[in-house]
Amino acid sequence: MSDDLPEEFDLIVIGTGFAESCIAAAASRIGKNVLHIDSNDYYGDVWSSFSLEAFNKLLEQPSSSVRNGTYTWHNATEEHGQEQGQEQETTSWTRESLLEKSRRFSLDLSPRVAYCAGSLVQLLIKSNICRYAEFRSLDHVCMLYSKELVSVPCSRSDVFNTKTLTMVEKRLLMKFLTACNDYGEDKCNEDSLAFRGGTFLEYLQAQRVTEKISNCVMQAIAMCDASTSFETGMERTQRFLGSLGRYGNTPFLFPMYGCGELPQCFCRLCAVYGGIYCLKRSVEDINWTESELLVSSAGKTLRAKHLVSAPSQLPATLATHFGDPEPRLSRGLFITSKPLGSEELNKGGGGVNFLRLLTTSGEREACLIQLSHYSGACPEGLYILHLTTPAVSSNPAGDLADFVAQLFDPNASEILYSAYFTIAAPAAESIANAATPIYCTAGPVYEQDYDAAIENARHIFSQLYENEEFLPRAPDPEEIVVDGEDPSALNEHSLPEDLRAQLQDLEQAAQQMDIAE
Amino acid sequence: MAKTYDYLFKLLLIGDSGVGKTCILFRFSEDAFNTTFISTIGIDFKIRTIELDNKKIKLQIWDTAGQERFRTITTAYYRGAMGIMLVYDITQEKSFENIKNWIRNIEENAAADVEKMLLGNKCELNDKRQVSKERGEQLAIEYGIKFMETSAKASINVEEAFLTLASDIKAKTEKRMEANNPPKGGHQLKLTEIRTKDSWLSRCSLL
Repeated sequence: MSDDLPEEFDLIVIGTGFAESCIAAAASRIGKNVLHIDSNDYYGDVWSSFSLEAFNKLLEQPSSSVRNGTYTWHNATEEHGQEQGQEQETTSWTRESLLEKSRRFSLDLSPRVAYCAGSLVQLLIKSNICRYAEFRSLDHVCMLYSKELVSVPCSRSDVFNTKTLTMVEKRLLMKFLTACNDYGEDKCNEDSLAFRGGTFLEYLQAQRVTEKISNCVMQAIAMCDASTSFETGMERTQRFLGSLGRYGNTPFLFPMYGCGELPQCFCRLCAVYGGIYCLKRSVEDINWTESELLVSSAGKTLRAKHLVSAPSQLPATLATHFGDPEPRLSRGLFITSKPLGSEELNKGGGGVNFLRLLTTSGEREACLIQLSHYSGACPEGLYILHLTTPAVSSNPAGDLADFVAQLFDPNASEILYSAYFTIAAPAAESIANAATPIYCTAGPVYEQDYDAAIENARHIFSQLYENEEFLPRAPDPEEIVVDGEDPSALNEHSLPEDLRAQLQDLEQAAQQMDIAE
Repeated sequence: MAKTYDYLFKLLLIGDSGVGKTCILFRFSEDAFNTTFISTIGIDFKIRTIELDNKKIKLQIWDTAGQERFRTITTAYYRGAMGIMLVYDITQEKSFENIKNWIRNIEENAAADVEKMLLGNKCELNDKRQVSKERGEQLAIEYGIKFMETSAKASINVEEAFLTLASDIKAKTEKRMEANNPPKGGHQLKLTEIRTKDSWLSRCSLL
């Protein structure tokens, strides 16, 4: 089947991870002839989602980017379902019954939440790639307060209803956040200027808020630690506030069926614009001349003007140029039959919730994403807990132990399955310093949202195609005129508003010209 | 904006390269046939609204965008699909044999209750036929799905095929609704539908 593959391309992209897929889509979108290949038989590379079975297999076979993988089946029988006088039902989950539903799972290697007004959402809307994706708005942003999981109120009705805060605290919090929201505008509060150069915590303390509010802001809203600068804290607070009230109740979205869908959305756009896709195709060697790169793959030499690759998919001889992969993220994944926190946090069968955690010493942080079946990522009655922290060692379970202990007892009967692994990638500096004509993407880093990944893709794209727009809006199918048809058949109403206005202006101008004649 | 339809069905076209999926799509959505436009423009789906039993049904029909070429259809393509047209070319034996592989692919990735239909396209090329109508019928029976021979070029059965598939999905949907058991799920938000809810600072955003 590979024999009819063309041999010459403007751009060959190796690896179908998030950043690579963005670049492939962006290049294809501006008319470049793109070949996108991946040595795996699935899309997404280290950004992919897997069925339970495939996930286990992946952990059994360490690779340069996913390593130190272990998984454990726990005593997988458990009773549940007596909440709130509902009819009692007993479901017992066993290893077999979980595996039977293997395909109903979408287990993410690199799960993220996206800010409703963040870089990912903006990019998806701007490029019109949003038509390929569906999202669920998160149900709760949580924080840990005196060892208990509580919801951070995100709307006025939340604030009104919450029992977490007293009246005075509610008012203090509103006042503080309003001040943050106004910061940087002309009407900026003068007293906040004094805090520039200091830490955000100092500013917060000067507002004489209670400990609970301080926790709420530091842990969940500004996502700071004690050393975070005032400016960064402000920026993050504003990002949180700016994403409220857009979709649903919280400032975050999670892609339905898992984050592994996202790279595929970009790949789809690339394909729609003529990009060619080949999975299960690895690259044996890459050579280059002044003007082009020669890629040896499956007995063929493919030629391209440019080449972008994920660090993990380069042939061994070249990978050394980009440095050895180092542990980047320590990941934990748990399947449980009981959601974390109170019934309140898990109405109607469980929420899709987010929690940022700090170690007891406050030095390291992790984030937890709880997924219920509403995310499309697991069967009903089960919950996935994703834990992620920047790796400090090659022992993911060790890196995460402190956080796990704060959240649940790993030996509790409701924990049915646990897995740990490390995501590795070469250090950013060694990628930047490599002396080859190959553009190498950075791999996942620890972040909420996709800011760094998108910036990485945008940066590489701008080096490849200077002055070209990164993912301009793709027209809707209704707007596309088929060859040979009269262009005027294009329905005026199918145009976006700004274009429609332009069209009307043009028509008016044309009429006026006629009169002048 | 008021909804201008009663149902929205997402349909997919699946089958080997060159069996005429895009032509079928254009015949149905535009009543046009043109062999030159394919792969030159970025078409990924087409919309046509039909009427069945006084219900307006908006059909959103997705094309493979060429990703079938090396069997690299994304799993995301299958999400939310309610009906699938499996297409082969009656003049290409291989495309008929591959239907089995495509069905396996569907079973792995699409919802279990997705409605399927088998189409033998290019039936106007009877003199080059390699797959008899009987074999097509037989395969469809094997999988318990409906079958038609179509010609996008001569405009044979294309309309009928989509109407059949749509009406089967409609019947299934209505049966499910009658059973008073609508599919449960959280609100799924399309990014394009910006819903403004109250937030702490909604007052400020009005300034």
